[in-house]
Amino acid sequence: MTEPGLRIADLHCSVAGNEILKGIDLTVESGRVHALMGPNGSGKSTLAFALTGHPHYDVTKGSARLDGEDLLALAPDKRARAGLFLSFQYPAAIPGIKVANFLHAARQAVRPGELAPAKFRALLLEKMDTLGMDPSFMGRYLNDGFSGGEKKRLEMLQLAVIAPKYAILDETDSGLDVDALKDVCDSLNALRASEEGRSTGFLIITHYPRILQYVIPDVVHVMIDGRIAKTGGRDLAHRIEEQGYDAIREEVAAIA
Amino acid sequence: MLKTASSVVVARTHGLYDRLASFEGAPLDRQARVAALDRFFSTRSGRERPGRYWRVDLEGIAPAVECVDASFGTVRIVNPNARVVACDLSTAASAHADLFAQVFGATGVAQSKFGALATAFAHLGAFVYVSADVAAAEPVMVTYDAPDGTAIFPYTLVLAERGARVTVIERCDGGNAFACGVSEIVTNEGADVTFATVQQLGSEGRAVFTRRAAPGRDATVTWADAQLGAVLAACDISTAVTNPGTHAGVTALFFPNARQHVDVVSTIDHLVGDSTSETLVKSAAVDAGQARYLGNIRIAPHAQGSDASLRDDALLLSPDAHVDSVPALEIGANDVKAFHGATVGALDAEQIFYMTTRGIERDAAERMIALGFFEPAIARFPTEALRERIRAALAAKLS
Repeated sequence: MTEPGLRIADLHCSVAGNEILKGIDLTVESGRVHALMGPNGSGKSTLAFALTGHPHYDVTKGSARLDGEDLLALAPDKRARAGLFLSFQYPAAIPGIKVANFLHAARQAVRPGELAPAKFRALLLEKMDTLGMDPSFMGRYLNDGFSGGEKKRLEMLQLAVIAPKYAILDETDSGLDVDALKDVCDSLNALRASEEGRSTGFLIITHYPRILQYVIPDVVHVMIDGRIAKTGGRDLAHRIEEQGYDAIREEVAAIA
Repeated sequence: MLKTASSVVVARTHGLYDRLASFEGAPLDRQARVAALDRFFSTRSGRERPGRYWRVDLEGIAPAVECVDASFGTVRIVNPNARVVACDLSTAASAHADLFAQVFGATGVAQSKFGALATAFAHLGAFVYVSADVAAAEPVMVTYDAPDGTAIFPYTLVLAERGARVTVIERCDGGNAFACGVSEIVTNEGADVTFATVQQLGSEGRAVFTRRAAPGRDATVTWADAQLGAVLAACDISTAVTNPGTHAGVTALFFPNARQHVDVVSTIDHLVGDSTSETLVKSAAVDAGQARYLGNIRIAPHAQGSDASLRDDALLLSPDAHVDSVPALEIGANDVKAFHGATVGALDAEQIFYMTTRGIERDAAERMIALGFFEPAIARFPTEALRERIRAALAAKLS
């Protein structure tokens, strides 16, 4: 009996021998939006890399299952084909690989043989339009010479084209101006309203509540020092905006 | 026998002298051919100090005597441009004698060891002439073919008059053959010549090319060279900037695999100022493939206002692969711009990880990244058909 959801249980992760994640329990359900907030250095990005299988991140304990499949036993490409997607905070630039070719390879890998090239191109143009991206992007080299905003738009374009089962967005909002943020959120909301993307579950990592005004979270988690310190509804994001992380930290310390 | 200090006595006992018999006549008489062969035997290649792992000595490269005959090899010249002359060497030497004389040997190519060898056996070749202010809309295609067991000496000449524009694509195809070729480009004022070359001999072939350009004032000469085939491929590309306003471009790409050796030298000599040059080299090596690149940029003391850039990147794809990359900048003037950037390294782990998080298998990701690495250089070759040919040859080395 497989249990649906991206289920993370007691996950411990070390980087270069230092334990960063100290037992994470978190479940993202299909079609739901979870926000993961927390101050810098609390381990949010580490969780993203541990789940996607970055070679420098050692999971020392715990489990992560995607609709029942053991993610930790899979290589990164197989995790992606199982349905996991990460929007990188700092995506790699790869000169010589054109955006269109890369997107096609990615779509084919995750959703093989579904779209003829002409239809794929039409899909791309539609998604790019939502993101306010000029069609000339397709001929550029992957993230090569891209501005911060362009990189984030391209991550969102990949998300829209792949329409994964579960998407982790690692600080997609950081470094974006208001217009770019709005384009990014329009794209997210368009994906969530689409046939392909309506069941996608989201884990949105951010330390600003700004993005959550446009993409309304169902659940908000606060991570402090490698642990989920608090979980609540969207009002938790508002509270953080008003009081900062220190209030949560003190509250958790008082309970402990 | 008396011998002066500067002369070198060549015994002329080598069998190659006998092989000159079938090469009588245009474009050179016997005496000139013998003199060129003398020079081949008496001249050092200047490449006799290889890196510590280098297994091949360029000094010893010569064709097997029995493989040399004027009847060996073919050239196919395709020229879709009505106002451009393109013909074989003997036609050029007879029908366009005056023009031919302006470019044949004019760059001093026969002073180099292998330029001298190609001159001694000059016979198979192509001559391209573009008269003043004519812009060739289509590339001129020159394709040499060397069957297994033959030696060929392909000689391509380009003469572009004032304001002329032309692109020449030279391919050297064939089997396990020996090819010692020369390219000479001479231009008048304001001409623009692109010369793209792709060498794809068989996996046991040997290729040695010497390419020289003498651009005129305000002229542009752009080389693009891809050494893809042969077990040993050496290419020496040089542009002498002797007129102001010149732009000299060099793009070179090579990718030794299996037990291939590739040896590329590029030289831009800024002998006068107010000139620019741009050199881009992309190389990779896999298996036991090895390559050596020497990039010379020389700016003479009085060549103020020269602007030269040299960028070379090398990718090592297996533990036994080697690329020696040696940039050599000699800057004699003070009011110049000279940029140099070089990298040598393996595939980037973050790039691979990024691609695999998109579901692309690791092997496929590595291939895409390695082939993508060459794209900035491939993009500088003319015609999509030629670029696809290069991509296919590079991809085959990775499979």
